[in-house]
Amino acid sequence: MNVYETIVSFITSAIQFGTPIILAALGGVICENAGVVNIALEGMMRMGGFFAVLGSYITARSFDPILGGIDPRSGNPWFGILLAILVGVLVGLLHGYISITLRGNQIVSGVAINVFALGGMTFFLERFFSTTGHSPSVASFMGQPLIPGLSGVPIIGGIFGNLNVFNWLALILPFVIHFYLYHTAMGLRHRSVGEHPKAADTLGVNVYRIRYIATIGSGILAGLAGASMSMGQLDLFDNHMPSGLGFIALAAMIFGKWTPIGTLFASLFFTLASVAQSYVQSAAPQVLKYIPVGFWLALPYILTIIVLVSFVGRAVAPAADGTPYEKGEKL
Amino acid sequence: MAYAVELKNIKKVFPGTVANDNISLEVEQGEVFAIVGENGAGKTTLMNILYGLYEPDAGEIYIFGKKVENNSPRKAIKLGIGMVHQHFMLIPKFTVYENIVLGEEFVKNGILLDRNKAREEVKRVSQLYGLEVDPDEKVENLPVGIQQRVEVVKVLFRGAEILILDEPTAVLTPQETKDLFKTIRSLKESGKTVIFISHKLKEVLEIADRIAVLKNGKLKGIENARETDERKLARLMVGRDVIFEVPKREKKPQDVILEVKNLVIMGDKGIPAVKGISFYLRKYEILGFAGVEGNGQRELVEALTGLRPVKEGKIIIKGKELTEFDPWVLRRQGVAHIPEDRRDRGLVLPFSVSHNLFIGRQREGFFSGRLFLRKDNIDSFSKQKVEEYDIRPHNPELVVDSLSGGNQQKVVVAREVSYEPDILVASQPTRGLDVGATEFVHEKLIEQRDAGRAVVLISFELDEIMRLSDRIAVLYGGEIVGELSAEEVTEEELGLLMLGLKRYEKREVPA
Repeated sequence: MNVYETIVSFITSAIQFGTPIILAALGGVICENAGVVNIALEGMMRMGGFFAVLGSYITARSFDPILGGIDPRSGNPWFGILLAILVGVLVGLLHGYISITLRGNQIVSGVAINVFALGGMTFFLERFFSTTGHSPSVASFMGQPLIPGLSGVPIIGGIFGNLNVFNWLALILPFVIHFYLYHTAMGLRHRSVGEHPKAADTLGVNVYRIRYIATIGSGILAGLAGASMSMGQLDLFDNHMPSGLGFIALAAMIFGKWTPIGTLFASLFFTLASVAQSYVQSAAPQVLKYIPVGFWLALPYILTIIVLVSFVGRAVAPAADGTPYEKGEKL
Repeated sequence: MAYAVELKNIKKVFPGTVANDNISLEVEQGEVFAIVGENGAGKTTLMNILYGLYEPDAGEIYIFGKKVENNSPRKAIKLGIGMVHQHFMLIPKFTVYENIVLGEEFVKNGILLDRNKAREEVKRVSQLYGLEVDPDEKVENLPVGIQQRVEVVKVLFRGAEILILDEPTAVLTPQETKDLFKTIRSLKESGKTVIFISHKLKEVLEIADRIAVLKNGKLKGIENARETDERKLARLMVGRDVIFEVPKREKKPQDVILEVKNLVIMGDKGIPAVKGISFYLRKYEILGFAGVEGNGQRELVEALTGLRPVKEGKIIIKGKELTEFDPWVLRRQGVAHIPEDRRDRGLVLPFSVSHNLFIGRQREGFFSGRLFLRKDNIDSFSKQKVEEYDIRPHNPELVVDSLSGGNQQKVVVAREVSYEPDILVASQPTRGLDVGATEFVHEKLIEQRDAGRAVVLISFELDEIMRLSDRIAVLYGGEIVGELSAEEVTEEELGLLMLGLKRYEKREVPA
């Protein structure tokens, strides 16, 4: 492998490993900038990941000549994405209803969603696929470049020619959301609700509506993040998903100071650890003799802890993050 | 001509209290109309109803003769009502122009925020009324007086014809108050109607044309400013005669009991908040610290009471160095503390009055044995304090959170005084209290001084500082920029010192 190829493979895998983290962390950014804490990213990802696979699976129609029965790989993966988004909307609404309308504790709501996702998806896996391990392989976007024509283009082709639909979203959405938050009137209102909802309310900004938009948007992004694991990195839902990536995404959001572009780079930083691990395993297995594989697997989590411990104190969250807003509350 | 504002039989009930009881009043166009009353009299509630933040339970609102239905802030703004809230409704991280245009943004190309247009409009409006503001400055970097100006511009930008100012002078220095009054007069000249809420009678008499007095949610009367005076208003407000002067016995300060030398204290942001101050305090003396909020007062209080570490310098109490970062030790050495936020630091809100009265002393043999609290002693102690301080209702078993602010503060004062301290550090002891409770706390502080104790008084209320102190030190930017005897100082001079426009050279502390 020459230097160019090494770099290309490094960047490509950083994007591929980083995609779910970036998408979920953006969900956190949207939510928390409107003042609603979302620790339910993990659970939302898990649901998105499962229902994406289910969506693809239930649209399968063609007959499998070898095994008999319907071939699960003949479905429509786009329907999977649609279902993941739909589920995201519903969970976002639920989190919104609890923390905005009922003014419940946002952490408790988040924990409840995470716990529900853990048990609920295991139940559904059993119910639909009669297993607690993983679903069958379905039609997916794994290894399906969105714009395959790019691979012929010199220099960038090596990287961009391989990106699937989720990878593209992860690269483009941070800038879209940045534009929304910092360059549109709606974005100004969005942030004002996260900083000082009462002030926003006195100026006629609809605090509840913006917060609902935020939680629902957050649900969609986290749902897509889950789908990017089960339908982008793999073509099946594994019961271990998303194995803590939702929490790493939270860390990336904090490390990225609640800004979309900061979060993009923070997510890529965390991903480096995963990339390093896979690189060591495939290209330099002799290293494993000295530093065991367990350490490499734990590296992303270790980095998360180090970063959170050293940066959390300095990172400044939106001022009203986590505070329910009650109209007409006594001043 | 129709009235600018007409309120008819407004009623608003909060759980447990009638905040507004059948209030009717009219405000004429182009006048400055003041509403005075003690805390909890219902002033702010009434204005929040007018501004559409609260829904009244009964009654009607007319603006320029038109009846208002389903009021909301958005609607109120459209009708030409603007409100400058007591606690500013500004977003610290946003720039001045972002705060001003929020909700009424200029948009280009369909969705883009038009920042240039926003800057221009903010400049235009602020120049029109002579309220200069820098549109691009972040609000968190502005002094309080300028923040208030931003609030006024924000309201004018929305085309307000009627401006409601809720306790606008509470956070201002005398100079800033003068500027504000200038602004109010020029607004009046340009035909705007101003509703001015306050509990400071002097100010109201100076600026208002007419004054409405509220008490316990009821309208007690509307007076012409030219035909009334402070005593008359106070009587309407409190329901009895109020003594404005605190009787204070002659000065007889004795030996120095507290000495502070070159004290440096770090603030929360990791930069020094107090930069090398020195002062001393004697028995039978009240030393008042004047200054605008955020000039090192909080850090100084916390260092004196052991709640914040001292970076450099010494605190010497009764000749012994006690630069301790340990409130327990300092309390045992005779330092008591009335904290600035009684609800946050002064009381355990869900606990009973009785427990709050001795908390901190629970290890003393009188209050507890080896294992259990001594209920009998605690009961008799708290019963006695409740009587002595007239803490209402007279029931020590009540949860302290259910008491009014004034009675909560009485609990704090009773406890701190019961330590029989040598030094009493009182930080903002009357913040948020009404006239009656303020009077009580002032009497207690003087009583402590006359009993031979040394009192450190920190307050943002100049009146309070001037009324109580024997000596006054002015804090500005974490330094003492002047130390004066209370007799020779004028409000004017204190104001200049507080704003950093004047300073005296450091005075040496007597050995």
